[in-house]
Amino acid sequence: MKRSVGQIMGRTGIRIPLILWTVAVLYPIFWMFLGSFKSNAEIYRNPWGLPESFSLENFNQAWTNYNIDVSVFNSLIVTVIGAILTLVLAIPTAYAIERINFRGSKILFTVYISAMMIPMVLGWIPLFFLLAELNLLDSILGLSIVYAVSQLPFSIFVLTSFISTIPKSLEESAAIDGLSPYGILFKIVTPLTMSGIITVTIMNCIQFWNEYFMALIFLQTETNYTLALAIDYISNEAQYTNAWGTLFASLVIAIVPVIILYIIFQRRIAKGMTEGAIKG
Amino acid sequence: MVQPKKQKYLFLAFCLVPAFILFAIFTLYPLFSGLYYSFFDWSGSSSNKEFIGFDNYIKLFQDSIIPDTIKHDYFLVVTKIIGIMVLAMFFAVALTQLKIKEAPFYRIVFFFPNIMSVVVIGILWTFLYNPSLGLINSGLGYLGLEEWAKPWLGDEKWALPSIVLPAVWAGIGLFMLMLMGGIANISKSYYEAAKIDGASEWQQFWKITLPLVWPQIKVSILYIVITTLNGSFILVQVMTGGGPNNATHVMGSYLYQQAFKQYNFGYGATIGVMILILSLITVLFLQFLMRREKIEY
Repeated sequence: MKRSVGQIMGRTGIRIPLILWTVAVLYPIFWMFLGSFKSNAEIYRNPWGLPESFSLENFNQAWTNYNIDVSVFNSLIVTVIGAILTLVLAIPTAYAIERINFRGSKILFTVYISAMMIPMVLGWIPLFFLLAELNLLDSILGLSIVYAVSQLPFSIFVLTSFISTIPKSLEESAAIDGLSPYGILFKIVTPLTMSGIITVTIMNCIQFWNEYFMALIFLQTETNYTLALAIDYISNEAQYTNAWGTLFASLVIAIVPVIILYIIFQRRIAKGMTEGAIKG
Repeated sequence: MVQPKKQKYLFLAFCLVPAFILFAIFTLYPLFSGLYYSFFDWSGSSSNKEFIGFDNYIKLFQDSIIPDTIKHDYFLVVTKIIGIMVLAMFFAVALTQLKIKEAPFYRIVFFFPNIMSVVVIGILWTFLYNPSLGLINSGLGYLGLEEWAKPWLGDEKWALPSIVLPAVWAGIGLFMLMLMGGIANISKSYYEAAKIDGASEWQQFWKITLPLVWPQIKVSILYIVITTLNGSFILVQVMTGGGPNNATHVMGSYLYQQAFKQYNFGYGATIGVMILILSLITVLFLQFLMRREKIEY
């Protein structure tokens, strides 16, 4: 009896840090949501309580004064084009590396994987001038291509491990039935890898939607700003205008799609990220 | 599979060439020409690119800000490793070993900051640190510790440590999951045997859990090192831009300032080469340090 009382005490004790950390994670996020409904005066008066009324004025401000709609649209375009392009490039490469015997396949795989560990910041200076020469600087399309290539190693890495779980016999029997290698790749392997494709795509979409630094370097005009840049801009302005409510509203706009994806695909995202990290 | 050689190579080319060409253009070429640029004095326009040999590297060694940026980067590396690993290990053990019903809830909540945008994390925390409105100073006031309140990010001494907290906050979930994966693979029989031998839970942790999740710990530490040296500047850029008075500049943010703000692209590339070399050396050194034979019982 004595032991079980002690255990119950221990259980409760262990919950205290868990609950504290839960509060530390959730409270700032809730606070950001609450702040997005408050007027500036209210933020000053009552920075961390509940809003007096749920006004959408801040969202309206972000929309009209800072053209958040344009940035949201740009971010969507970059995310969609980037994610599709990554798949188009990564699926055939992953299949060839995993399933076709050719000299240098190991080396190629190693080259792609090493790129995940190399600080890309060195490459951004030449990339800036390369994009300028290709007329892709300050361009949503240019940024999408850069994004797609930047996630190529991760995507190839995850997809090869998914493709390796498909039984070879399926491809062999399809080949005997007269299906071309292209047919095998698109009609047999791709559908069977769908789970991996979904995981990779969600990860890439979150990555592209969230990305900040490459956008900062490679985009210049305000009409091309992605959401991350628009938020950064509003944040810098808020130092002077104190438009904190508008800033919170723009943060909420940025985080809501991520929260929705996380609610739906929580397991996949967690699995995809841990697997991506274990590559080392 | 009987198929002519030519067709096989055609298919292989179809699979590999487009991706590799783009990868070569947008990843490999920039990295190598970054190395090349580091030997030039170059302000961006093509006409005044001047080969200056190792002058940028000499400048690098004489630049008094560089040692600070390196120090700041490694300060972040060390504090992040300690902060993240201790908390992640504690949470991982708590959520796997002690049968807590609502464990999945904690797992889901703790992981979420890992997928938040650095911009959102940075701005949110900048506001938490806000001297007059922020939660941190108000919280200290609420606890009766007003004298601890300070303009965290504006204080030369406190700005850098203040950046560690959001980095730990945002990082824990991923490493907690990696460690939980390792702990889940440990056979229950070890713990049962240890219990019969009268080992306390604390002893079980040191003698069983810790050695057996060593591979996961090692991967986690290396991952923190790589991501910090290659990416800490993003959070720094959002939160302080390197200020106040260079107190938070890390190598990457200094590179950004030199190259894209002051148009010293050659010198920026030299800083980039330094980041590359330092992160390779650090990773190799750590791998040497942490080579510990896999423990099997």
